[in-house]
Amino acid sequence: MSVIDLMKKDRYETPKTPVAFEVTDLNNFIYDMQHCIKCKGCYWVEHTYNPGVKFNVRCPSNLWNDFDAYGAMGKMRIGLAIAAGKMEWTDTLLEIIYADPLCGACDVGCKRNLDLEIGLTLEALRIKAVDDGAGPMPAHKKIAQNVAATQNQYGTSESRVKWLTKDITVAEKADVIYYVGCSSAYANPSIAQATAKIFNAAGVSFMLMKDEKCCGNTLYSVGMVKEAKAIALENIAAVKASGAKTLVTSCAECYRTWKVDYPKLLDIATADLGFEVIHLIEFADQAVADGKLKLTKPVDMRFTYHDACGVSRLCDPWTPYKGERGWMGMIFPGLLRRRGRHGLYGQARNVLNAIPGAEFVEMIRMRENAFCCGAGRGTKEAFPELAKFSANHRLDEVKAVGAEVLVSACPRCKDNFGQAAKEDGDNVKVMDISELILASIEI
Amino acid sequence: MSINKDAYSAFEAIVGAKYISEDPAICEGYRSGPGGYENGLGYERVMTTIPHAVILPRTTEEVQKIVKICNRYNVPYVPYSTGFYGPRTHCHVENELIIDMKRMNDFEMDEKHFSVNVGSGVILSSIQQEALNVGAYSVIGGGGGQCSAIANLIGDGWSPLSHRIGLPHRRILGTELVLPDGEIVKMGSLADGSDDAFWGEGPGPDLRGLLRGFTGLRGCLGIVTKMAIKLLPWQPEPLIPTGIAPNTALALPPKRVKWINYRMPSKREQVKSMFDIAQAEIAAALTKVPLFWRAISKAEDKEEFWDIWLKEDEETIKNFHIVRVLLVGYTSEEDMIYQEKVLNDIMTELGGIELRTKPTDESWIKNADSAGMWLMCGSYVSVDYIIESLTQATVHGETYAELKRKYTPPLMPDFGDPGWFQSFELGHQGYSEFLVYWDHREDTAGVDQFYVETSKMNIKNRYYTSLIGPHQPLFLTGPQYGPNYHEWLLAIKNEFDPLWVSHPPVPLAHDDFVNKAPWMQEMKDWESPEELPMPKWGQLPVPEK
Repeated sequence: MSVIDLMKKDRYETPKTPVAFEVTDLNNFIYDMQHCIKCKGCYWVEHTYNPGVKFNVRCPSNLWNDFDAYGAMGKMRIGLAIAAGKMEWTDTLLEIIYADPLCGACDVGCKRNLDLEIGLTLEALRIKAVDDGAGPMPAHKKIAQNVAATQNQYGTSESRVKWLTKDITVAEKADVIYYVGCSSAYANPSIAQATAKIFNAAGVSFMLMKDEKCCGNTLYSVGMVKEAKAIALENIAAVKASGAKTLVTSCAECYRTWKVDYPKLLDIATADLGFEVIHLIEFADQAVADGKLKLTKPVDMRFTYHDACGVSRLCDPWTPYKGERGWMGMIFPGLLRRRGRHGLYGQARNVLNAIPGAEFVEMIRMRENAFCCGAGRGTKEAFPELAKFSANHRLDEVKAVGAEVLVSACPRCKDNFGQAAKEDGDNVKVMDISELILASIEI
Repeated sequence: MSINKDAYSAFEAIVGAKYISEDPAICEGYRSGPGGYENGLGYERVMTTIPHAVILPRTTEEVQKIVKICNRYNVPYVPYSTGFYGPRTHCHVENELIIDMKRMNDFEMDEKHFSVNVGSGVILSSIQQEALNVGAYSVIGGGGGQCSAIANLIGDGWSPLSHRIGLPHRRILGTELVLPDGEIVKMGSLADGSDDAFWGEGPGPDLRGLLRGFTGLRGCLGIVTKMAIKLLPWQPEPLIPTGIAPNTALALPPKRVKWINYRMPSKREQVKSMFDIAQAEIAAALTKVPLFWRAISKAEDKEEFWDIWLKEDEETIKNFHIVRVLLVGYTSEEDMIYQEKVLNDIMTELGGIELRTKPTDESWIKNADSAGMWLMCGSYVSVDYIIESLTQATVHGETYAELKRKYTPPLMPDFGDPGWFQSFELGHQGYSEFLVYWDHREDTAGVDQFYVETSKMNIKNRYYTSLIGPHQPLFLTGPQYGPNYHEWLLAIKNEFDPLWVSHPPVPLAHDDFVNKAPWMQEMKDWESPEELPMPKWGQLPVPEK
């Protein structure tokens, strides 16, 4: 047998090691951490799309703090040291792990070439921090307390349906259930109202959850998986009990939580949730295509669109995987990697391009290369200066493309951009996509 | 032991507390391996460690002050731009300072004269896009679009575009260098005190050899803080980025830019076609890439790559001779038509068969996709880059492939493919790059040995090599090249860096590695001093192989 034949044989006979992507065990990602090559695909905008010397970075954390430790390439090395028990939890280490919106830019950047599970590793590092009693950050613990006490992240005892106005028709029973989310229910009622009115305008009957509760996005994101799993079970049971076939969110963070994190927590596939999870973007795209939603009212403005992370690179459906790794690192059985290709990039643009009268201009960094607003996944609460930095940086880009209005599909983006623009006296107006759609509907 | 406290305070006073850290977590983020270029090998495990501190200067003046303090307090340092070039650009001794240059990202474009002035933190793909915006172009070196232009150009900085655009040192119009003792030297056009880059050779001192040695001295002779780089005229039509990662590409304007692949009857015709195309002075790039790169581009993932690649064998690879040609109608559509006609004539005469080629560019114009090299096995290094004649380059490749066979496994089975081969400077040189791949979770002693054995092969066959000095044992290669390259290099090192604070123990690092690694002892059949002629720095513990 020749050397080459021997090697071909090796492919099948090399001892294999188990592979799983459960984020509750950092050891599942040793291979991924060991194979980071510092190409910084996690940091730079993908080179085909590199716009030049300005706006060429996609990582908010590492742009905010220049040390490599704040980029995924540094965190992979730090993660190995943590997994090996060689690193003490300190304030700096916690900042490195938590000053990060987990926006997924690094993950899709890595999967351009290497298919390493960077995003899952970063989640696993936070879970490890919590397991070790070091995490999460105090601001996150406060959110957890709020959710436990009031079922919402703000800790308010106000009604969750205070946003509901008389001109909105809500069905007692419908195939579609609108999951409003804490942010739209309390901080951004205009988004909830616009979403509901879009359902009404499209003639689609929708209902609300009886006692809607927080989705647990922040709890999961900061590593509090036990609490997040309990919420997931409760929320899924509530939707199943409602008989809804489709759950619609208007929040990108809620969307990702329901579509990806819940299945991940429960070790099931997104397809096995028992109902479909879609974002308003998908609903509106289909409704416009079907002629149910008519966008006829001209909107006179020049706007740009920010791809919120939860509806773009982070929302590929989840499928549980267990297998083995063998020769040259190959895994068996094969795996369809989550590379952010199923983001709602096209759907959002279909809708936006259908708005009459408005001039849509793309950002320099868009789709999977978009620069995160910096607010999500517990960042704004624990590291408001990072969230502000990130928002300001993105607003500079909005101004660079000459847009008057920044449109996103997430209330957390709207909050963060809006706050940053207001504090700095920017004249950029920030809108949610639901509000823009509503503005173009003759009611 | 740590960096002297007074030194640390002085560093902090220069850049401010925000831009220096000795926190263990921050420093751990600057570990070289275990993954990455040449990582996971003995050299990385034996010779590298994490820094004691990291500092991020913003200006040349700050770099100068930092270096002077390093000399005053005997603090070893290594400049670091993107960290991509593996263990050789990471800390080698204990209590070392990493000078991370990423904040040195100033950029100036001289649109009229087609040149750019860049700092160490500016990367190649950004420069290329800025150049394309004004109808010019540069090169994305084989290292990839993410490489610092300065680090890449003082090291190698070539790509298939070097067929027309030429070797990198010809495009360096000026350099600002902080010498190992903190003195600033301005070379080429930057020497006259202005930022008007016009001519690489003057009027200042031409010490570009100080930067490069053979292919870069990896930070052991100071820090380049600024460089003026020549751009060349491109064509006016835009190249449009398309697709969602990982399937992204530049859509090419078909009447102005076009890749064409040809299958040639034999190696003779492959080389002859390159020679004839070059002689006709057409084409922007002319290359034969390793055949497994084709499998990488076809595969959706690692597993599919191996499914595709293991269908090959020595016979199929031996009989597959490809030539990739990039045509650019630089001046007009008619220019393109002319070039295509000349190309067709050459290929018809030589029996080249045109293969289906996508009207896009996945790699080389703006992105070198080098990160894909790690997909197959997890580990990769180029063990040599050679610049010879077109015909000699292929002979060298065959010898190298034969040697590689001896070390397969642990090297990846590549069925005798000699590697990457292309024309430089309109065929006046033939370039080959010899790439090896392995799984660093396996016993890698054979890869370490193969690396050194390539030098012995070059010496035995009287071949050119790029990798001496910082990449191979200096006392193995130095006496054979130059002659006495080692004596010259060490004399220069001692003159410019008498304390050896600039990235010790480079350029004797590979000698040091061979001495320290037990599994390398059987390789050592060359003469070297009992003790290497350099100051002693903190000794790292030697891990098992």
